[in-house]
Amino acid sequence: MIILSIDTSCDETSVAVTEGRRVLSNVIYSQVVIHKQWGGVVPSLAKRAHQERIDFVIEEALAKAKMKIEEIDAIAVTQGPGLAVALEVGILKAKELANQNGKKLIAVNHMEGHLYSPFVQNSKGNPKTEFQFPMLGFLVSGAHTEIVLWKNHLAYEVLGETLDDAAGEALDKGARLLLNIGYPGGGAIERLSAEVNNEDRYKFPRPMQKIDSLDYSFSGLKTALLYAVQKMTEEEKLQNIKYLTSSYQEAVFDSLLLKLRKAIEKTGCARVACGGGVIANQYLRKKLRALIRKYEGVLYFPPYSYLTSDNAAMIGVVAGFKAEKNMFVENINDLDRIPRLRLS
Amino acid sequence: MNDKIIETLNRGGLVVYPTDTVYGLLCDASNGEAVKKLINFKQRPAGKPISIFVCDLEMAKQYVKINVDTEKRLRTLLPGPYTIVLPSKHKLPAELESEKGTLGIRIPDNKEIIDLVNTFGKPLTATSANLAGRPPHYSIKSFNKQVAHGRKNLVDLIVDGGDLPHNKPSTVVDFTTGDLKVLRDGDQKVTSFTLHVSKSEVETKKFAHKLLQEELNRDSKKPIIFILKGDLGAGKTIFTKGLGEALGISNIISPTFVVYYEYPILLFRNNRIFVHVDLYNLSDKEEFKHLGLEKYLVPGNIMCIEWGEKAGEIIEDLKDKATLIYVYIRHKSETERTISVNF
Repeated sequence: MIILSIDTSCDETSVAVTEGRRVLSNVIYSQVVIHKQWGGVVPSLAKRAHQERIDFVIEEALAKAKMKIEEIDAIAVTQGPGLAVALEVGILKAKELANQNGKKLIAVNHMEGHLYSPFVQNSKGNPKTEFQFPMLGFLVSGAHTEIVLWKNHLAYEVLGETLDDAAGEALDKGARLLLNIGYPGGGAIERLSAEVNNEDRYKFPRPMQKIDSLDYSFSGLKTALLYAVQKMTEEEKLQNIKYLTSSYQEAVFDSLLLKLRKAIEKTGCARVACGGGVIANQYLRKKLRALIRKYEGVLYFPPYSYLTSDNAAMIGVVAGFKAEKNMFVENINDLDRIPRLRLS
Repeated sequence: MNDKIIETLNRGGLVVYPTDTVYGLLCDASNGEAVKKLINFKQRPAGKPISIFVCDLEMAKQYVKINVDTEKRLRTLLPGPYTIVLPSKHKLPAELESEKGTLGIRIPDNKEIIDLVNTFGKPLTATSANLAGRPPHYSIKSFNKQVAHGRKNLVDLIVDGGDLPHNKPSTVVDFTTGDLKVLRDGDQKVTSFTLHVSKSEVETKKFAHKLLQEELNRDSKKPIIFILKGDLGAGKTIFTKGLGEALGISNIISPTFVVYYEYPILLFRNNRIFVHVDLYNLSDKEEFKHLGLEKYLVPGNIMCIEWGEKAGEIIEDLKDKATLIYVYIRHKSETERTISVNF
């Protein structure tokens, strides 16, 4: 089944053509270029840009896949979670395409996309990573942080999630505090921290260590960083900036891994599929590998770099599995965006 | 730069300087000649008092009378964008005082000014740099446009701090009778004024819950908008969670990366919605208009906007369509927060 999928959950307009797990084309009209001027995800720009770009991106995706819309079997779209006004644009377009061309419609959860991202293949069907259920899903991005028990295809149970800030957001806000840079800040933190060998000089508190739950909280860490910086003079801060970023990053990553370790022990499952923007961080991957080695488990990372960011390819792959189970939208016109859609 | 400023102030000069609200005109408040020069520059009518910047309550006590009770309340308000009017001890030029013998003091939430006053060792005038009756200045460009060349010569030093955010001049609060009375609304609009010190996240949430409950009981039939101001880590999201809990919503998380999340308020009938907005990533207040949040302003709906100051005066335009509640959360210490609420 050949699927045209659309993802406009946040600041990327992305359209892909997939067949099963193979990606025939994936176009991401990155809005980072536009947003550099406006410092972040700005809905009005996001909405207008989505509206203006979406037709173009759809055409590109079809052209790259050497397909015509008539040859597409079904349309898939991200229903949520995400920015309401952005999601609406994708959903409206998907409905339009489905109705106008008489195609079935599949609604997908954006987080499902990230979960499946380690299993996405290129057009030639590589890599041929096998699914081995059950697995743990470790999803870490700017807007989300979750640990999921992935029982089987399309069957999930959220074991733990953030109660306030997402890990990516914590890193981003840390970057703003320390480096006065805007979104995206995680990359800068990774680079500067690497320059001092990721040394944890300041040993910031790791939130919720003693609590048994698998939920996360990063807002306290943010405050700890704020107080540490306030106690310094401007010169002190500048002199120690790299140690501050690396200590902060270490605290965020340690917190992430602490809960993941708990999840592995609770479930007895050490096969972990990782997805989301923060997973692009190579140092985090190194720490994850070390952790999984201890448990003699298996780690699955998105095989191509575009897959850690938001993209429609992963949505299309999930849609493929849903189509196999006949999980189509019953009433196309009733499909509405769900900004706080959860995995269940 | 600071040396130059101190030197200018010491010889009785006038300095245009960026404050926590608008561009101010500073001079040595203890120097009668300097004060006269300042009044002359501003063409200020006689009898209109001029408030002073001090660096802390200890310095303030040298010039105004502060009793124990007032001191307690001031410690929660200051530093902050308030001018506190108190009985004067008459140690400074009389032109600074009101005809009732009161003096206004300011301890702004601005490290540069506090340090400047501290180094200078004496209070500085805290009046705005505009001519009497004219609008205040948020940039040197605007100052230069308004002030004629000849008059500008009266100013000895201009410190350009760039464009200042459009915060209103300070809220003037009269403490002389011991009962708090607002004389002028600044950004902290004060029709009704509540102050609370929270010692924990649970307390902040309880306070939010109580505040919302009181407003709901008032049953004004307008949508309610909470506008939260406060620095990183002050507790804005915690406060919002308190609101959520009052509405039966327990899964509130930070919407920073998506700008806003909406939640159905199942406790109410008629599909009411709670909208949790976070303007942290907004750089331009014009963008707020494009968010299309007005469509949520339906009676029964509740909105909470973190980093509300990023929307500037645009939120004020909504005051006919909704009940606006301004909540200002500040770090008092590592374990305490001050929450000021204004309607």
